[in-house]
Formats: sequence, structure tokens, C-alpha cells
Amino acid sequence: MSQEIAHWLDNLLEEIEGIEIRRKSSRRVRVDVPADALPALLELLQGRAGYIHLSAISCVDWIDDEEFELVYHVWSYENHSLVSAHIRIAREPGVYLSVYDLYQPAAFFERDIHEMYGIHFEGSPNMDKFILTEWDGPPPMLKEFDSEAYINEHLSWQEYNPPWLQALIAEGGGVVIPPEEQRFSRKKS
Amino acid sequence: MSSINQIPVINTKRGNPLSKVFDELVRFCRSRSLFILHYCTGCGAIELPPAMTSRFDMERLGIQPMVSPRQADILLITGYVSIKTLKRVILTYEQMGSPKYVIGICSCTVNGGMYWQSYATAKKLDEYMPVDLYIAGCMPRPEAVIAGLQQLMDRIHSGEANSWEDYFRNYDYYLGNQQKLFGDNWQTPTDILTEAKHYNLMGEGTFGEHTRLLEQHQKPLEALDMRLGNNLKEPTE
Repeated sequence: MSQEIAHWLDNLLEEIEGIEIRRKSSRRVRVDVPADALPALLELLQGRAGYIHLSAISCVDWIDDEEFELVYHVWSYENHSLVSAHIRIAREPGVYLSVYDLYQPAAFFERDIHEMYGIHFEGSPNMDKFILTEWDGPPPMLKEFDSEAYINEHLSWQEYNPPWLQALIAEGGGVVIPPEEQRFSRKKS
Repeated sequence: MSSINQIPVINTKRGNPLSKVFDELVRFCRSRSLFILHYCTGCGAIELPPAMTSRFDMERLGIQPMVSPRQADILLITGYVSIKTLKRVILTYEQMGSPKYVIGICSCTVNGGMYWQSYATAKKLDEYMPVDLYIAGCMPRPEAVIAGLQQLMDRIHSGEANSWEDYFRNYDYYLGNQQKLFGDNWQTPTDILTEAKHYNLMGEGTFGEHTRLLEQHQKPLEALDMRLGNNLKEPTE
């Protein structure tokens, strides 16, 4: 049964040009599409293949390629399968279309990504702060945001090295990775 | 004619010989009736239900959960405190009636724990409010929580656990750290300076540059408008 659906889905996806399909398993497909073809793909999946549930939109910051990767995960309750549509958009200016008119839950995901990565979604109903309502720094999930420098500037640190831990370390146990090796800013290079 | 200064005055603070006995009794009773505020910030809160309920049973020691800050004695900070949460924790702490005690549970309250690199987590809890006791661990088991609470009971009984006075006596220090994190416009709905004056808990550190900054922009506290139907009005744009 699932083999049949997989074959049928592959035929369906071939209707869109410039698309790369990688079948991960019988229930999971990875699709790489050009950014401008994504709304058409989602419309096709939703309207003709029963992928009515948008599980999540995830974002990856590829700072060296100067691109953001957006991944739209859509789930079908009939086929019991997940399609992950990957697109790449330019990091500057970081603008993309909203899919709110296709999937209403996209409003939350897009608002979240806007807050964490600074991507603006055109047509999304609300681009206000979502969770970080009291945060006025840069979008914190960007690769260029140095979290450690931020905490060194704003927060102070205290060591926790009680006698019982020192005794454990003296016996050869205790901390596996010492802070000097774990913490980038304290690495002795 | 003798000056008024020459008249010998025997300065006895407490005239009643039973006062020490009475203080001892008060401290004993206080340490045997502790109410923990239900304000669970992080993952360590999951160890509290077993500590409260039948298996480890804190109630045999006279410790009970309490739902409102005004009626609670202990503020348990169970786990990481994000900066958004920290504001609420400070508001809650200031509303609690004295004497009040703060216990930091889990590694995160000591130095951020596994969130040491997070931009959103406060690292040292005792910069923002006086902490009586830390129970380290990730997470500490109910036995450890109860052992810590017993230690606090002993310290209340012996009269050592008075760090809540430190918040009034060194308010400038705590307020300075809060302003550093929340911005210069930070003001809580509790007027600590007036309370410190009222309860005669002024110290050298009560006033300072940070409290002067607070007094510059401090809005006077007003009574809440309690009229019925006030919230039903349409919001005007």
C-alpha cells in the first residue's frame, strides 16, 4: 500500500520543474525546490495529495553560503507520510513569502522565525515579538550573534568548585571536560 | 547644676527577663511552620511533588506548599531563571511578607548550570535577591531537597537565617544588578525604600547611586481601581 502511494507521490511531484526528490524512507520524502516554486508545490500537496497539516517550519542559517534554509514539513493523515520541502533564500535582505493563506498555523512559525532569525515574511498577519518580548538585541539564533560575548558583557559568572568535587578530581574522577577546554572564550590556544 | 548628660541611664534594650525565652520560642515555632511558595521556574520543580507527597512527605517536618506569595515563607527557585522569569521572581519575592527565605535548587541557580552560554538565563541568583541556601545538583533528589530544608530549619531556629534583612540593608547593590539587566527604567510595584524606612531596616547600602536613579523616575504607587466593569470597556485606539 505505502509503496503504491510513494510511487503515486513521486509522479505527482514530477509535475513541478526544477525539483529534486530524495526518498528517505517509505514515509519520508525530502524535496529541494527553488524558492519561487514553493507556494505552488505546497498548494499541490495540500490540494491534490492530502498534505493538510503543516507540522513545522524550520530555519537554518548557512552563514558561509550567505543563505537561509527554510524547511516546510507537511504531513498527510491519509498517506501517513511527511514531505520536507527545502528552499534556500538569500541572507540579505532575508525576505520571503508567507504561506499563511495556505496553512494558517504558519503564522506562528513565521513569527517565531522572524524573531529568532530576522527573516521577514511578506503577507504574514503578525510579525511582532513572540516569546522574546523583553529582548531588544539582535535576533539571537543568527550565527553571527556571539552568545558568549553577550553573557560576558551582561552577566557575571561564579565558579562552583566545592571541596568534595576537588577530592573527586584528585582521585581521577569528577569533571570530564574542564571549563578551559569547553568554553571557547577561555580556550588556551 | 548637673547636666542632663551626667544622669546615669541604664540602657537596657529588653527589660523583660523572659524575652530571650520568648524569642527562642518564636524562632522554634517559626522553623516548624514553613510554607513554600509554588513558583516553579525550571525543571527542578518535578522533584517537589514526590518531596511533598506521601513517599518523602515534607509535611511531617511542618513544610507545606502555599499558593500565594503573601502567605508564604520560602521562595524555592527550582531551576534555571530566564531573564523574563527573573523579573517575575523579583516581584514575587518583594511581595512576600518578612521573614522570608530563598532557596536556590539545581545547578542553574548557582551559575547557570548547563545554560551557562545562554543569552536568556540569569547566572547568579544571589546578585538579584539574597539567597539563604543553595541545593546543587541537576536535579537534586527529594532527599537532598528535604536535607536542605532541614538545614534551613536549623538556621532559622538558631537565628542565622536573616538574609531577608540584607535585601533592605543592601538594596542599592541588588537594585544595581537588576538595573544592569532590565534597564534604567526598572521599577517594581513594591516600594522597598519606604519599607526599609518603615521597618527601621536601613543600612549603609540601602541608598546609593542606583536608588537615586530609581527615585528620579519612580512613579508613586496608586491603589488599584476596583470598580466593577472597568475592564469591560472597549479599548480606545
